[in-house]
Amino acid sequence: MNSMDTANTAIAPPVPVAGKDAEPHGKLAEKVLVRNLDFYYGDHRALKTVNVPLYDRKVTAFIGPSGCGKSTLLRILNRIYDLYPNQRAEGEVLLDGHNIIEPGQDLNLLRARIGMVFQKPTPFPMSIYENIAFGIRLYEKLARAELDQRVESALRRAAIWDEAKDKLQANGLSLSGGQQQRLCIARTVAIKPEVILLDEPCSALDPISTAKIEELIDELKDDYTIAIVTHNMQQAARVSDYTAFMYLGELVEFDTTSKMFTTPTDRRTQDYITGRFG
Amino acid sequence: MVLTEHTHKAFDADLQELSRMIAEMGGLAERQIGDAIDALNRHDAVLSQSIIAEDSKIDLLQREIEEKAILTIARRQPMAIDLRDIVGALRVSNDLERIGDLAKNIAKRVMVLDGELNLQKVMRGVEHMTELVLTQIKDVLDAYSRRDVTKALQVWRGDEEVDAVNNSLFRELLTYMMEDPRNISVCIHLLFCAKNIERMGDHATNIAETIYYMVEGRPLPDERPKGDNTSTTRVPFRL
Repeated sequence: MNSMDTANTAIAPPVPVAGKDAEPHGKLAEKVLVRNLDFYYGDHRALKTVNVPLYDRKVTAFIGPSGCGKSTLLRILNRIYDLYPNQRAEGEVLLDGHNIIEPGQDLNLLRARIGMVFQKPTPFPMSIYENIAFGIRLYEKLARAELDQRVESALRRAAIWDEAKDKLQANGLSLSGGQQQRLCIARTVAIKPEVILLDEPCSALDPISTAKIEELIDELKDDYTIAIVTHNMQQAARVSDYTAFMYLGELVEFDTTSKMFTTPTDRRTQDYITGRFG
Repeated sequence: MVLTEHTHKAFDADLQELSRMIAEMGGLAERQIGDAIDALNRHDAVLSQSIIAEDSKIDLLQREIEEKAILTIARRQPMAIDLRDIVGALRVSNDLERIGDLAKNIAKRVMVLDGELNLQKVMRGVEHMTELVLTQIKDVLDAYSRRDVTKALQVWRGDEEVDAVNNSLFRELLTYMMEDPRNISVCIHLLFCAKNIERMGDHATNIAETIYYMVEGRPLPDERPKGDNTSTTRVPFRL
C-alpha cells in the first residue's frame, strides 16, 4: 500500500488510485475532488458516477472519444452549465474541500478561482491591453501603473508579451490564432485563478503555436492546478502528469500519465490510446 | 492476447510486416547455425564460405527492420502495446543479428580445425549443445510470433541446460589440452565454437525477456538462473 491508498480510503468513496509503481504520491493534495458526480442534459445522463481528483499544481489530462463527457466534466468544474436551462449536476465537486455544486455559490468568485480557456480563441473585440485589464477591473480596483504592471505580467506569463508589447492598443482580434489563444490564457491568469481549465486549447492552432502553449502549460503548473481536455493523445502524453480516460460518460481509468500511455490497466483505455477503437 | 484491429488498417499492416521480417530473419539464423555445425563436422570449406556470405542477408534484414521500425514510429506515433511491439522488434532483430555473427564465426574456424585430434567425441558434445540451442531459438521465435509469455519463460529457464553442457565441454577440452599440447590449437578453436553456441543461447533468453516486456509492459522481475561457470572453472594439472 502506498500513501495514496490510505489518503483515499480516509475520504470514503472510491477515488481512482494511481498505480503503485508510479511516481511517489507522498505530498499530493487534492485541489479539486470530484465525487460520485452525475450530470444530466434534460433526461440524458451524460456523466455516470464520476470520481476523479485534480492534484494541486499538477496537470491532469482528460481523454476519450467525442461525446464521452470530458468537456461536460470541465464545464461543471466552473459551473458554466448554470448558464443553460435543463442541465443539472448531482454529486460533489470539492474545491479545497468545499462543494461548489451546492446552490448559493458566488459564481463570479468561483469563476475567478477556476478559469477556463476554450477550444476556439475568444478574445474580446477590444484592445489587447483591455482584454486583460477588463477582467482585472471586475475584481480589483488598481491604480493605472499597477494595472499596467499586472497586464504586462499576465502577458509575460502567457508568453505573448514580446509579440504584443509594441501593439497593446491593437485589437485583440488582429492577432494570429495562436497569439489569440495565448492572449486568452493571459486573460485567464491575469485574475490569478487557482485552477485553469483548458478545453482543447490547441485544436485550432498550428504546430508551433501548439508547442508554445504546451511550453506555457509546463510553466504554469508551478503555480496553478491545470485540467486539459484534448483529442491529441501525444499532447496529453507530453503535457500532463495524470491522465483520465473517459468513455460513454464513465471515468474508465485514472493514473499517472506515464502508466496510462505505456501500460494502461483497462482494455478500453489501451484500445483507445493505440487507435483500436470502434 | 488477441487484439482488435486498428482503425487505421495500414498500421496493422506495418506491425505485421515487422513481425514477418523477424520471422524471416529468425529462419535464416537457424539455418546458419545448422549449416555451421555441419560444416564443422565435415570440414566442409565450401559450405563454410557460403555461410560467411549468407550472413550479409541477415545484416541487411536487420537494417531493414530498423528502418521500418523508425518509420512506423515517426508515422504512427505508437502508444502502449504498439510501441512495445516495435521496440521489441528492434531488440529481437539485434539479438538475431548477433546470433548470425556467432554462426559466421564458427564457419570461419572450420578450416583451421584440420584435426590431429580425434574430434568425434567432442563433436558429439558440440552437436548436442547446438541441438539444445536450436530448439531454444525455434521455441523463442515461436513464442515471439504468438506473443506467448508462458513459452518465452520456458525458454528463459531452459538456458541452464545449455550452460551445463557447455561446462562439461569446457572441462573435457581443457583435459585434452593438458594431455597433449599439440591439441591446444584445435581445442581452443572448439572452445570458441562452444562458447559461440552458448552465447546464442543467451541471445535466445534475451529474446524471451523482450517478449515478456512486449506483452506485460514491464521487465522480467527475476534474475535469470545462470549455469555458466566456465569463467571460474579450473582443471588441476597432473603429470
